[in-house]
Amino acid sequence: MAYKDPDEMVFGHAKFPVLEHWNVQFGAGYVVPEVKVAPEAGTERSKETLVKEMASIAEQAASRAVDIGLPAFMLEQEHVFQQTYHPDWGYACTLAQAEVLKKYYDEYGVRAALRQTVGDLRIEEKGGLRGSEYDNRIAETIEECCKAGASDIAAETMGGKSVLDYGVMRGDIKAILFGIGYLGSIDMEYFWTRAVNICSKYDTRPAGDTNCSGANTCMYVAGGLLGKDMSHTAAALARAISAARSLVAVECGATGPLKDCGYENTIIKAITGVPICQEGKNAVCAHADVMGNLTCQVVDCWSNESVFHREEMGGPTPAVWLQATGYEAALMNTAIQTGNAKTLRDLYTFTDMFRDPQGTLLAYPNAYRVGKAIVEYGKDIYLRARAAALEASKVMMEAYEAKLLQMTRFELDTLRKYTSILESLPMEAEIFVDQCMREYPRKIPTFDPKSYGL
Amino acid sequence: MSLLDWAKKADFDMMFKRYNVIIEGPAIKPEDDPDVKKVLPKDEPFKSLAMAVIFGDTEKAVQAAKTALERTSPLDVIEKGLAKGMDAVSALYAKGAYFLPDIMLSADAMTAAMAVAEQKLGRAREKKGTVVSFVAEGDPHDIGKNLVVMFLKANGFEAVDLGRDVPDKEVIEAVKKYKPVMLTGTALMTTTMTAFPRVAKALQEQGLAVPVFGCGGGAVKRDFVESYDMGVYGVKAFHAPKLAEAALAGKSWKDIRKEYPKIVGEFVAEYADRM
Repeated sequence: MAYKDPDEMVFGHAKFPVLEHWNVQFGAGYVVPEVKVAPEAGTERSKETLVKEMASIAEQAASRAVDIGLPAFMLEQEHVFQQTYHPDWGYACTLAQAEVLKKYYDEYGVRAALRQTVGDLRIEEKGGLRGSEYDNRIAETIEECCKAGASDIAAETMGGKSVLDYGVMRGDIKAILFGIGYLGSIDMEYFWTRAVNICSKYDTRPAGDTNCSGANTCMYVAGGLLGKDMSHTAAALARAISAARSLVAVECGATGPLKDCGYENTIIKAITGVPICQEGKNAVCAHADVMGNLTCQVVDCWSNESVFHREEMGGPTPAVWLQATGYEAALMNTAIQTGNAKTLRDLYTFTDMFRDPQGTLLAYPNAYRVGKAIVEYGKDIYLRARAAALEASKVMMEAYEAKLLQMTRFELDTLRKYTSILESLPMEAEIFVDQCMREYPRKIPTFDPKSYGL
Repeated sequence: MSLLDWAKKADFDMMFKRYNVIIEGPAIKPEDDPDVKKVLPKDEPFKSLAMAVIFGDTEKAVQAAKTALERTSPLDVIEKGLAKGMDAVSALYAKGAYFLPDIMLSADAMTAAMAVAEQKLGRAREKKGTVVSFVAEGDPHDIGKNLVVMFLKANGFEAVDLGRDVPDKEVIEAVKKYKPVMLTGTALMTTTMTAFPRVAKALQEQGLAVPVFGCGGGAVKRDFVESYDMGVYGVKAFHAPKLAEAALAGKSWKDIRKEYPKIVGEFVAEYADRM
């Protein structure tokens, strides 16, 4: 564990800060606000229109940063299909944004980081995850983005998704564990070993990868308090498992700030000490969650998740949403400067700690416990993912028994049932994998074991 | 003061309310639910068939079907037993008593038992109609499409699943081949959902207009879907069979846009202006 005690963890500070070009640091004593905007539908019709759109997003964000006096910010661009599929588009779009940010840095000294998040185009049933045309193009595009001036590269890889989706839809925790924890981890190693090698040739950091396609899918499917598609305790277990999986990027050399969307990042920060991006209450433009304040607790880069590129009453969305994350980061930075950081951290945490089981799990003292459970099993990707889920279960049950966390029958029944299944799983990865391989290739036509070397 | 000290002092009611816990009624057996009672067959072997589906027990459903087929026609096994179980499951899901995994397991049980009945019948049972489903080109996110397909199949439709990342021309070819009563398209991203107006335009140009082109998914919104002909914004996956049934009953996409909440039979915030 990077921290001896969870109380050492606080927003804006990481054990291993990251410096990116244009003098932006993450985890070095201040929180950086982030904005991310999806290009307007239709602008992907040609390279020229998309490049113009990218430059416009960067310009609108940078000018608002200066207008409201932000010392630093991050602009993240999550690629649309065409941006990753055509490496030359990826290059031109990155260059257009880099030029804008450099111009503002030179003129005003506003520190800006440019993240390029490549799209994971790979599809198991269409050529597989390794060596397919899609896979090769991703690698080429990463390199082109580095050449064009990206400060860092992130991704949301999809390994294990076919099995995970099956598990979500049928309430099968073994499939969720196999999909995210085992297959996801294998694919992460493949993807991030290569990405780190490419980035190391340039002034570009290999940032990291969040389990958007897995744990976030679970959170999205679980929905709000009245959602009826997935139990929130099951979504919390999936999140704990995803921490063991997303950790692999750091083990491969990713430095952070870890990709937002990653509600699992608090757990990974506790283990590794790398800076993290997070989203919550200023991501209401993208989705509803039930822990909008809590996710600020140990953040280093505070994000809006994503928003359409369009006009709001307050201006274009790149400006409006950078303003939203910018003021929240300003509050955190003020707390740091006035010696109130831990008080604010605990207020953020306590606001949502018992609002929902997912918040209970991710409250930093509990996230730390899950991190410890993962570390106990070292590099065994199966056992550490299983241990993460079991510790998460303990955390939620303890809060329930202490009458701090209320659960519905569905949440409680699911938690008990899944815990009992997890406990009954074998203690050897080979046996677990053998069991899964007898079952899931038969049941899931889109699952391609070869994509995982199985 | 630590978080746990705060927890001892704070009045959580002033901070949040867990409405899902507050509104939860007493635990009752599914078969005792009043809406289930309305559709659950009273006589055997249909009751056992329906109950196996309600409990999502594939093994029991298959066994019940085999036993029933000794003295009951395959069509009756399906229509009077298995399908009634699925109707009950839909009712439980709609009122929040059942959750997605329950309905999937029930659908699996129904599919397995129905295969046994159809084997005896010597052919597939007649479907209500055909629906073609796809995920937009460039988009690998298919959980929504998989749900749509499952709900359609469970409700007696032939669902042709084209998969994910489907090129426009493959969608057009499938419409030409299957002549569906409804086409469904899903997309997570704003930049892949642009496939929908392209597909709609191509269908019109080739004289292949479908009664309804149901579109939905993460970033997809009603105003976008209503910006092109045939498009109907699908809010929930389980609405898909109701939209297909409306199309079968002769409703056009224009009618369905106007009457969406009435057709799906519940309040739909996205169509609040059409309630």
